[in-house]
Order: sequence, then structure tokens, then C-alpha cells
Amino acid sequence: MNSHRLTPYLFILPALAVYGLFVAFPILDSFRMSLLHWESPLLPPEFCGLDNFRLLASDHVFWRALGHNLLLLVGSLLVQLPLAILLAFLLYYPTVGRTLFRTAFFAPMVMPTAAVAVLWQYVYEPGNGLLTSLLRMTIDPDFSHAWLADPKTAPLWIFVTICWQYTGFHTVLMMAGLSSIPTECFEAARIDGANEWQVCWHVALPALRPTIAVSATLSIVGSLKYFDLVYLMAGGLPEASREVLATYIYRLAFDQNQGRYGYGSAVAVLLFLVALAIVVPLQARRLLNRSGEERAAGSSRGRAA
Amino acid sequence: MKKFTCRHLVFFCLRHAVLAGFLLATAYPLAWMVVTAFRTEGDAQARPLGLPQQWMMTNLAEVLRSGEFSSAYANSLMLCTASVAIAVVLAALAAFAFAQLRFRGSHVLFLLFLVGMMIPVHVTLIPLNRLLGVDGLGIKGGLVALAGPYIGFALPISILILRGAFAALPPDLLDASRVDGCSAWGVFRHVALPLSRPALATVVIFNFLTMWNEFAFALTLLGPGCETLPLALTRFKGEHDIQITQTSAALVLVVIPLIIVYVFAQKHIIRGLTAGAVKE
Repeated sequence: MNSHRLTPYLFILPALAVYGLFVAFPILDSFRMSLLHWESPLLPPEFCGLDNFRLLASDHVFWRALGHNLLLLVGSLLVQLPLAILLAFLLYYPTVGRTLFRTAFFAPMVMPTAAVAVLWQYVYEPGNGLLTSLLRMTIDPDFSHAWLADPKTAPLWIFVTICWQYTGFHTVLMMAGLSSIPTECFEAARIDGANEWQVCWHVALPALRPTIAVSATLSIVGSLKYFDLVYLMAGGLPEASREVLATYIYRLAFDQNQGRYGYGSAVAVLLFLVALAIVVPLQARRLLNRSGEERAAGSSRGRAA
Repeated sequence: MKKFTCRHLVFFCLRHAVLAGFLLATAYPLAWMVVTAFRTEGDAQARPLGLPQQWMMTNLAEVLRSGEFSSAYANSLMLCTASVAIAVVLAALAAFAFAQLRFRGSHVLFLLFLVGMMIPVHVTLIPLNRLLGVDGLGIKGGLVALAGPYIGFALPISILILRGAFAALPPDLLDASRVDGCSAWGVFRHVALPLSRPALATVVIFNFLTMWNEFAFALTLLGPGCETLPLALTRFKGEHDIQITQTSAALVLVVIPLIIVYVFAQKHIIRGLTAGAVKE
């Protein structure tokens, strides 16, 4: 475009200013703050070098929180994705009410996580919650269990809630992926004598690989972003059992005016580095492709999504 | 299709049975919530699973009358509308430059924006508190405090979606308007924007939903007496914990409008949620 050389920057500037002030600067600032020791929110901070990080290394709550994040990651990959693939396969065949199924499966994804947490706290309510009532009706009339109070099993029930919210999302992704595979592939396999099981396992599943990769990426990136659900549902558990990294940052800095801004920032810095360490390898190829594409094709590229 | 045999019938039934099972697991908690919102507290205690003896609106009316919910509704509506409007304008401008203008550093700047999509927002909770607090901009506590972070974190995904749309505009049309003497601004305003309505709709709807549901920033940056809807809901739950019918009514008031929007704007919401990882 033969306009002034500065024009592109004028287009970018407003977005860059807001992004810089409210996203980029706070991230950098958290690095600076992680080197400070904050006795109390009322006193001025003192520089303490890497002391916060040394403290972190021996902080078992921190390690447990990181472990919870990783467990959620692995659990999501092992439970949500296979379920989503199964549901997408089932829905791929002519189905009565396919749109209804898809719409309903995806619905929990549009709810605020805070609302999901409130709803499921009642599902798990020990007195007359949904789950307790169901078990009372079917198995034992006197059944009672404090689902979210037992540190051993509570994380599992929270994970069930997470699956309830996200599996439908992955199902919709897989459905889109399946429908983009040319049907000739399946027809050819059937003509060659493959049964439906073989078609699914040996033809559809390998062809679905790019979609599975997308799903897995979103799952992995998302597993570091848990906050609302865990904060609201695990509140009743002992300190070491209830945290993921994001909730630990929150509790260190804001809970009951703890005001441990420096130490909280050290956790935030590690969360940022973990996120970067996970995302960069996952996205590197895509980003490299993108720049190659850009050079080759200039501005005439495909439509997003 | 081959002949419809007995095996096909079995497969058909089995398949629908499994799907129906998952449908039940997904929808039953939601249905239970709705039913509970319309019954009396005693009824909910006595027979939590059955249908209400009598359907009544008193719970909903009471939640609305309590005041905090109506003001939270107004707060969320105001905040999200304003933030989405600003975010879309900023993102469209930047996306147009990334898609159609050539300039030094475009690649690095674009990557810088993309990073914001991948990192957990919670990294910024503490620094944003300082930035917006008394030592910084001094706007912490009010709704305005949320607008900055909301817009900032909406930009990466919006720019990504809009850049894709702007890059896919027919080059002939762009050339023609340039030959006709359009400036970059003219092309943006009169060609790119009008032709990208579907992508703009996706960005508007998706960001609105994300901001409407946001919890962590609202929890840390808002002061007493100023709540967005998710915050009001959790506080309401805290105060009315034993009144399951009232809290269910509050849940219904939060969730049902969303479900209605979702049913009509499904396509846009799904596109927005997947844009982050789907290849262009």
C-alpha cells in the first residue's frame, strides 16, 4: 500500500499501548516483584535477590500445586480426549437429533466457571445434593458422603466437574475434524472389506490426528489456567491439597490480606515460565510455518478457523 | 449403504443409548438446577429429585428483589459492552495492519500479541493490583479497573481472528480501491470492515462471553459493593448456602440468558473458542 511509512504503526499503536500497559508490563513487573521481600502490604518492600525462589524450592504447598496442575493436564488428555473421540465417532453415523446432542454437550462450556462451581457444589452437597440423593434412592437410603471435604478424593470429584465442562468442547472439535475427512477414504476401506471397527481405528483415527493435536494443545495450555473452579470448589480442603498454581498465587497475595506480593510473584514467574516452556515447543512448528508461509504468499492467505 | 440388517439395528440402538447416557449426564445437573429454582425449600429438602409439588416463581422474584443481583447485571452489561466495543476497534485496526500493510517488525509484534493468548492471566494478578491501586493509576475498586485487563487480554485472539479475515479479502478488490485513490484508512474503513462482518461478529460475541464469565480479575480488582455477575453469584452462594432453592434461582438467572445466546450464536462461539489453536 503506497501510503506514508508511519501509517502501519499508527494502526497498531492503540492496541499495542493497551496491550503493553495491561498485559506485557504486568508480566515484566512480576519478574521485578519476585525479587522483593514484602514484610506486609503496609511496609515498603526490600530487595532480596533470589531468596523467594530459594524459599519456593522447599515449599511443599508449591510443589503440590504444580503437581495438581500436571495431574489435571494428564487427566484431561487421558479422559476427555478419548471420550470426545468416542462421542464424535458415534455422532458421525446418521443420528437422530445430532444437533441436539452437539448443542447439549457443548452447553457447559458457555457457562461461567463460577456458575459451574456453584452448581456442582450442590451436586456434591452431602445432605440433599444431587449425587447423594441419587445414591440414596438407588443403593443405600442412609448414604452420606462429604464429597468435597475428603482431601484424598475431593480432587477426583473436582476433576469430574472439569470433564463435565470441557468434554463437549473437545467433542465438537473432533466432530469438525471428522467431517473434514473426505468420505471416499471410508468408502474405499469398506469396499476393501474393512468392518466398521477397522474403519474407525485404522482410517478415521489416523486421519483425525491434526484435530487431536489441536485438542491436546488446547487441553495442555488450558490446564495451567485453572483458577475459578478449583478456588471455589476446593476451598474447604487443607492448604496442601487444594491449590493449583493460580490459586496459590491468589492466596499468597490476597487471601485474608496476606499481602505476600513478592513471594506470590515468584510463583507467578514460575507459572509464566512453565507456560512458556510448554507452549513454545507445541507452537514452534506452527509459528515457523506461519513465517515461511508469510514470506511465500504475502498477504493472500487462507481464512482463519 | 448395504442392506439394513439386524446387526445394524443393534449398532444403531447401542449407539443412541450411549449418546443418550452422556446427554443425561450433561443435561441432568442443569435440569435439576432449573427444577430446584422453582420449588419451595421444604419440598427441595424432602424430595430433592422429584418434580416440584408446585411450580412457583417466588425464588426468582426474591433473588431479583434482593438488589445486588440487578446491580450486578447492570454492572456486567455496562462493563462488557464498553470493553468489547473498545477491544474490537483496537483489534481491527491492528489486525488490518498485520494483514494488509507491510512494515518492519510486523512479525515480532504479532508474536508478541500471540504470547498473550497462551499465558495464564493469573501471572498478572499481583502486578495489575499494584498498577491499578493507589500507588499506580488509582482506579482499583471500581468497574473501570477491569476494562484495561479485559481489553488487553481480549486483543490477541481478536487480532488473530480478524487478521485471518482481512488477509482473505479478495486482492483485486483491494487493488481496485487503491487505484481509485483510497488511503490505507479508506480501504480499512470502506472495504475491509464491511466485508468482514462475520469475523467481527465472532469477535464481538466471543469476547463478550469471555468477559461476562470472567472471575479472577473481578475477584481481585473490585471493591466492596461493586460486583460483576459471576462474583455476585458466588457471594450469593456464600450468604444463602443452605437455601438451595434461592441459589438455584440465582444460577438460573445467570445461566439461562447465556444458554439462549449460545443456541443462537453457536457458530460464532465455537469458532472463537477454537481459533486459538486451529491452523489458518
